[in-house]
Amino acid sequence: MNDIDELVELVRDLLGLPASAVDARTELGSLPGWDSVHLLRLLTVLEQRTGRDIPLPDLLDVSTVEDVYRMAVTA
Amino acid sequence: MLSAEVRRLADWQRDGELAGNFAAVPALLAGMPDTDIALAGHLLSRVDPDEVDARAVTVAITGHGTVAGLVAPLTGEFARHGLLPRPVVGGFDSYVSDLGDPDGELRRCGAELTLCLLDPMVVFDELPSPWTAAHVWEALTRKLDLVERLAAGFADGGSGTLVLNTLPLPRTFAVQLLDRRSRAELGALWREGNARLLRLVADHDAVEVVDLDPLLADGVPAVDERMARYAKVNLSPALLARYAREVGHLARRATGKTRKCLVLDLDDTLWGGVLSEDGPEGIAVGGSRHGEAFVAFQHVVRQIGAQGVLLAVASKNDEGPVLDVLRRHPDMALREADFVRIAASWDPKHQVLRKLADALGIGLDSLVFVDDNATECGLVGQELPEVAVVRVTAEPALHCAALLRDDWFGLDAVTDADTARTALYRDESRRADFREHFDVVEDYLAELGVRIRVGAVRDREVDRVSQITLRTNQFNLTTTRLRPDEVRALSTAPGSSVVVIDSADRFGDNGLVGAFFLRRRGDRVDIDNFLLSCRVFARGIEQAGLATVLRQARDSGATAVFGHYEPTAKNGRFRHFYRDNGFVAVSDGVFRHDLADIAPPPHHVLVTTDPGGTG
Repeated sequence: MNDIDELVELVRDLLGLPASAVDARTELGSLPGWDSVHLLRLLTVLEQRTGRDIPLPDLLDVSTVEDVYRMAVTA
Repeated sequence: MLSAEVRRLADWQRDGELAGNFAAVPALLAGMPDTDIALAGHLLSRVDPDEVDARAVTVAITGHGTVAGLVAPLTGEFARHGLLPRPVVGGFDSYVSDLGDPDGELRRCGAELTLCLLDPMVVFDELPSPWTAAHVWEALTRKLDLVERLAAGFADGGSGTLVLNTLPLPRTFAVQLLDRRSRAELGALWREGNARLLRLVADHDAVEVVDLDPLLADGVPAVDERMARYAKVNLSPALLARYAREVGHLARRATGKTRKCLVLDLDDTLWGGVLSEDGPEGIAVGGSRHGEAFVAFQHVVRQIGAQGVLLAVASKNDEGPVLDVLRRHPDMALREADFVRIAASWDPKHQVLRKLADALGIGLDSLVFVDDNATECGLVGQELPEVAVVRVTAEPALHCAALLRDDWFGLDAVTDADTARTALYRDESRRADFREHFDVVEDYLAELGVRIRVGAVRDREVDRVSQITLRTNQFNLTTTRLRPDEVRALSTAPGSSVVVIDSADRFGDNGLVGAFFLRRRGDRVDIDNFLLSCRVFARGIEQAGLATVLRQARDSGATAVFGHYEPTAKNGRFRHFYRDNGFVAVSDGVFRHDLADIAPPPHHVLVTTDPGGTG
């Protein structure tokens, strides 16, 4: 995960959303159709791409794309 | 970060073009890494099956833990076969009420497949703390008694198929028992439990059990501890993805999309090297480590062929040397007689495959094509998207796994017709040659000497009738797919009967080739479905069979027979069948024959009947 734009793009691609629909401040829970299954999917992808373990209970508590990014790079 | 294929799907989704491009999705999925199939499924799960040319399959999903995560991988795997699931997801840990309540949503949604995802926590959630092997035995027995009751209730009153699965035994539980005897005891009783689950398949035609052990043996983790702990997803996402693939195969089978014919390249596919350059002594078959790997692959192909899959060759070679190797090479496991057609020529392979499908009277979507050459595979995939293409690599040891990866040929039952199929189709090519001697079709038919027997289905024929409903796509006038138990039920229900057609001619016995599903209400008979194997079209058998059923209806006091036709992508050729045979259209897809004037069977067909045909 090189920068937050990459993560924004990933979230967009996971849901097939247009560029305008997601940015760093977007609350994941506000995205159409977003649920915990998506979050788990995001976790799997993030771990695959970063090679790090990300604490899942913490991820369940975050709200924005930015929060997720911070967690992925600091984990 | 994501594969190019999945990003293409995301682009389509973004631009609202996903539904419009659905026809290109199976090919896109075929080239996608396994890890991205679920992501693709995620995007595809927002496509409305009604908007695209995909067969929708209603799938009810329930289980012990959280099961909503199955929808994405299932959608991806179904789409690989041109199918889309319509998921109906039960509540968390609600499989007992979901399956046990005949009036509940899951039982009433008309699901063709009902998935009940079982996991080890079904048992371990029930244990006291601390626990022993005896506690496991007690909880396992109680749960299996319950599952058996649910399965029996489902098979009794339900429609569609219930899909259960075996329970993995995670090491993290096994090693919580410290002494050697208890550990071994746990392993033994756990497998006895799984054996009980698997035996439900023999007890009920309506129950399938996905055996997870072979999937785990491929190196897939059974449990992702964090997912299990925090999200109650009790089986790992990787295992769920593999499970979804197996369910995709079940859906393909249930919708009559099982493949029928395996077409093989020769050079570097069935043997090592290039025959036209290396000569018969120079190719690698047996005799070396490399050559042994090709022989092992040939044995697997032979194993599949022996169970009713047609084998054919499509090779860029001259025919003479190919036949010479098939007849005389000492180490070949496959011989000329194992193949229904050997096409050795320099024509482009997509043309060869099209010709082959025509000659055998089967659809291109019945073919699986195996080749090591990227160009050939790419060309066939592009020209004939219906053909399943399996590309093997330069490493022959991996050929078997590549061929078997997608269970292309899985069947509900192997019948007598399957084991004799290659000979039947070879007779068919001899008939085609014989036909070329006649200018007039009538002369050909008169010389062919067609004989049919029309009679009520016998118990030993039930599996074969079910198979015809599953395999036949063209002459299948209402395309109702039936399992053996459903055929048996229709053959014995009051007012209902199943009448079958056997046929033979001067070239051999065709076996059971057709069936009528009849329903009697007072003086009215409905032909709910009429099916005929594509091998025997256009020989007067369909007219002779229909004439026989009409006569028997009249003789039994009926005053009208109604024929039904429901259009599909494949049966359009026969939409006028009833109209052309003395019926009058009374409403959309319903035709009536008043039995006043029944056309006699074509004179070149000799008909014999068994008593009691119309029920």
